[in-house]
Amino acid sequence: MKRWPKLLRVGLGVLVFLGLVALLAPWISPYDPTALSGQPLEPPTLHHLLGTDDLGRDVLSQLIWGARASLVVAVGAAGLAVGVGALVGVTVGLIGGRTDFVAMRILDVLLAIPVVPLLLVVVALAGPGRATIILAIGLIGWPRFARVMRSQALTLRQRGYVRAARGFGGGLVYLLRRHMLPAMAPVIIAAFVATAGIAVGLDSGLAFLGLADPTSVTWGNLLNTTRLSQEGLYASTAWVWMVLPAGAAVTITVLAFALVGIATEPRTNPSWSRGT
Amino acid sequence: MGYLVTLAAIITINFFLPRMMPGDPLHALVDPSSPTYVSDASMRGSLASYYGLNQPLIVQFGSYLNGLVHGDLGRSISENLPVGSLVVGALPWTLLLVATSLLLSTVVGVVGGIHSAWRRGRSVDRGLLTMFLGISNVATYVVATIALIVFAVDLKWFPIAGATTPFSNFGAPQQAVDVLYHLALPAIVLSLGFMTESYLLMRGGMVTELGSRYLLLGRAKGLSDRRLMYAHAARNAMLPVVTLVALQLGVAVGTTVFVEAVFAYPGIGGLLSSAIGSRDYPLLQGCLLVLGVVVVTGNFAADKLYRRLDPRTVAA
Repeated sequence: MKRWPKLLRVGLGVLVFLGLVALLAPWISPYDPTALSGQPLEPPTLHHLLGTDDLGRDVLSQLIWGARASLVVAVGAAGLAVGVGALVGVTVGLIGGRTDFVAMRILDVLLAIPVVPLLLVVVALAGPGRATIILAIGLIGWPRFARVMRSQALTLRQRGYVRAARGFGGGLVYLLRRHMLPAMAPVIIAAFVATAGIAVGLDSGLAFLGLADPTSVTWGNLLNTTRLSQEGLYASTAWVWMVLPAGAAVTITVLAFALVGIATEPRTNPSWSRGT
Repeated sequence: MGYLVTLAAIITINFFLPRMMPGDPLHALVDPSSPTYVSDASMRGSLASYYGLNQPLIVQFGSYLNGLVHGDLGRSISENLPVGSLVVGALPWTLLLVATSLLLSTVVGVVGGIHSAWRRGRSVDRGLLTMFLGISNVATYVVATIALIVFAVDLKWFPIAGATTPFSNFGAPQQAVDVLYHLALPAIVLSLGFMTESYLLMRGGMVTELGSRYLLLGRAKGLSDRRLMYAHAARNAMLPVVTLVALQLGVAVGTTVFVEAVFAYPGIGGLLSSAIGSRDYPLLQGCLLVLGVVVVTGNFAADKLYRRLDPRTVAA
């Protein structure tokens, strides 16, 4: 039996690479991503390996710095969503009874609201800052996990050792810290990775619709459709070096997170069963 | 009953959410940098009172509810048209786009899942699995942009924008063809993101079904593989897919915003993004409300349909 499945190795490899690119951005990026380092829409040359954008900024440098922006959103938003979700889900599951019932009905309602439109409205109204986007994605994403975590808590609290700890007078916080959270760590990690990937996609999607700070250096801003269509860039060949690499970067990142997510998923999702 | 509570909650959230956010509803009229800036203070005041924006929130909520009951969704601030008529005009296009996409994704996913499970572990299965995993992770807006450039702009196989040919005067049959022609590319793009889930669910369900004895009996009777696959095993394995489609509806009405933006499709998604740009509260509320209602109705219908399809769930 292989210890590290292929999916996990590929996914982790890509993520480590992206992490390094993000960390080393100031040293490896050939130009200042915001500086006008060339003519507008220069095709790829030795000076600008991926050409320049509509303002004359180096596309490769923007891609490199964009990795940083995307990973920050991924970690921040996923941490927030999974953190709040786990806390709410486990607490509610442990308390049980009426609290559980009411909380679940509230979650039902929250889950019925379509995520993307809600996110668009919240970000449009709250402003396009990076912190706002992290907060918005995180706070809209948590109910999904609260659900999963609650069902985990419901099974766990019937386990012998948890009941024993309760019997000996272990309080809620003690149970959470000592027994529940460690036992649920695999689920939490898988949820974190899966959300991180979704967050990267949503973050760039917001910029794509023009809902991000246009001065920030992100992959999404390279894909911004309003700008591209207004300037007629869809009809030029510039999309080959502007849109394609940024789209590929988003795709590869999302895919890498998904692969790691699948590989770490502790078989709680029956649709992934590989059969016999 | 639960659905009614959900609906009420969506209405409430829709009303209060925009008002809890920073940014004045008349921002676009008050901001000196905005092209629609109203410089006269008394004019701004009368605008605010005209739209009821100077009244306490609870009074605004009351009149909103009252209007809602009478089918009045308020008046769009930016378009100066009733929100109801804007939304009603856009909704059919979104429903058409979303329904076509989900139909397409379900058919492809289900058929892929059936064949994958039938030959599980072999190269067909592994190939399909890899392909669907890859498809599911490409962001819709990336696919949409590339599809637009390659298939509409460069190859000119499909129209670039809109849902119909403008200023055309077709008879009914050509009109239908025209609509389908405009629908094709956006629908395919939108469907790509939803294939994988139904594929995986179908594959998993089929794998379970394939161990059943009724299939052994069917084989003993001399039924063909095709018949066993489609008429026997797939029918039983399909059930969870019905629920999945209802869940996907909730996601699809969101993703369609991106697709409609790229293809300038005249649905709710396009309306929503223009409402966001102009901070048009009534229109925002209208769009969110309609999308919320679509999702809740979809879930409700799936629930009912599921009971019809699987009598076992009625007893439970």
